[in-house]
Amino acid sequence: MQNLLLFLYRFRTFGLFLLLEGICVWLIVSYNRRANASFLNSSNALAGAINAFTNNTSDYFDLQKVNNELLEENKQLRIQIANSNLLHANHDTINTTYDFYEAKVINNTYRRSMNYLTLDRGSKDGLEPGMAVINQSGVVGQVKATTPNFATVISLLHRNLLISSEIKRTQTLCTVQWDGAEPKGAALKFVPRHIPVQIGDTVVTSGYNAVFPDGIMVGIISELNLADNDVFYEAKIDLAVDFSSIDYVYVIKNEMKAEQDSLESVTKSD
Amino acid sequence: MIRIDYKQQIYHLIVFVLIQIPLLYKLVLLDVAFGFFYVGFILFLPYGISRSLAMIIAFFTGLFIDIFSNTPGIHASACIFLAFSKDFWHDIIKGESDDDIQLDFNELGFIGSIGYLLPLIFIHHLMIFSIENGGFDGFGLLFSKVLYSTLYSFILVFGISFLMAPTKRSL
Repeated sequence: MQNLLLFLYRFRTFGLFLLLEGICVWLIVSYNRRANASFLNSSNALAGAINAFTNNTSDYFDLQKVNNELLEENKQLRIQIANSNLLHANHDTINTTYDFYEAKVINNTYRRSMNYLTLDRGSKDGLEPGMAVINQSGVVGQVKATTPNFATVISLLHRNLLISSEIKRTQTLCTVQWDGAEPKGAALKFVPRHIPVQIGDTVVTSGYNAVFPDGIMVGIISELNLADNDVFYEAKIDLAVDFSSIDYVYVIKNEMKAEQDSLESVTKSD
Repeated sequence: MIRIDYKQQIYHLIVFVLIQIPLLYKLVLLDVAFGFFYVGFILFLPYGISRSLAMIIAFFTGLFIDIFSNTPGIHASACIFLAFSKDFWHDIIKGESDDDIQLDFNELGFIGSIGYLLPLIFIHHLMIFSIENGGFDGFGLLFSKVLYSTLYSFILVFGISFLMAPTKRSL
């Protein structure tokens, strides 16, 4: 009898162990599954506030670099203004489907196998899950979750984030996905073998998925392999964005996203 | 009889967990070594407290860390496993004891600390990195991450516990 009680007592502890681990497995699986409203991430109020505080203290050391980046970007924008003619301006009424929000990065990882950023803007400023995030050099990621004041962003350095892109020179549709190896490069997938791709070709977003506008820089092809029996190239790109030093980003809202998505889901269900 | 030195546990909580938060992914060496010294808080929970209590404490500690690293469940699961297994491991290293023991550097000793901390930290890191990696693919990088991070975290935990240990005057 005593042995039985002892066994039950032992089992109670082990049962709690299994229960807690079960909760953890559920958390892990449900977090990876979708853009969810879970409060257990770095955009919740407490974590956001602490991150913002630590970021504030380390900000001053980066001012010089941030200034240089802004100068460089200003220069690029001025060149664009100078090169655009009046004809182009007439199309502006059609092209204003995208809204831009600027945001500051208050937390950023790039050495893990799944990386996230935290921004100091949230739903109060108009951010929503699913929006695109870029900076002056190119694609950064996609918003995963928001709270009133903060937002969590899935970095491009996250193995579940697929970016619909195209090779600029040949206009070939392809997909960029991080392979988890190093924060400077990513894999380029689904480039058919009949396309004459070269090392050094530019890869930009395709604009086919209603998240990113087309033509935003992703990277430059750095490695090309084509085995005899492969259908697709095995290619790698150097990413345009330096993920080790992201200070400010732009969040892009596509006003037409809901419309495009609903239209596409109608045709998909047929 | 349980005699927990609450003051010491609160010191541990502050030094190991709260200081870890702003440094969670800042203490990176050579791109592969991550310093997760918060495990010290769980490893230095007193020997002999109810295992259920230890697991619940570990669960919330891990979840707290998870919130900051955007990995709900990963750190928590590894911490629960540590809390579950640390007393078994302590029995193997230091021998079984009926007394409750306040675990710290003085209690464990130099060799004992290595034997007690290093394997447990290794298991903890192995769990964290392999779950985050979603399996064992990319084994070389994964294993080097686990190995170097284990050494790094161990040195941090060992050093902190050494510095925190009250000086023992030998007569």
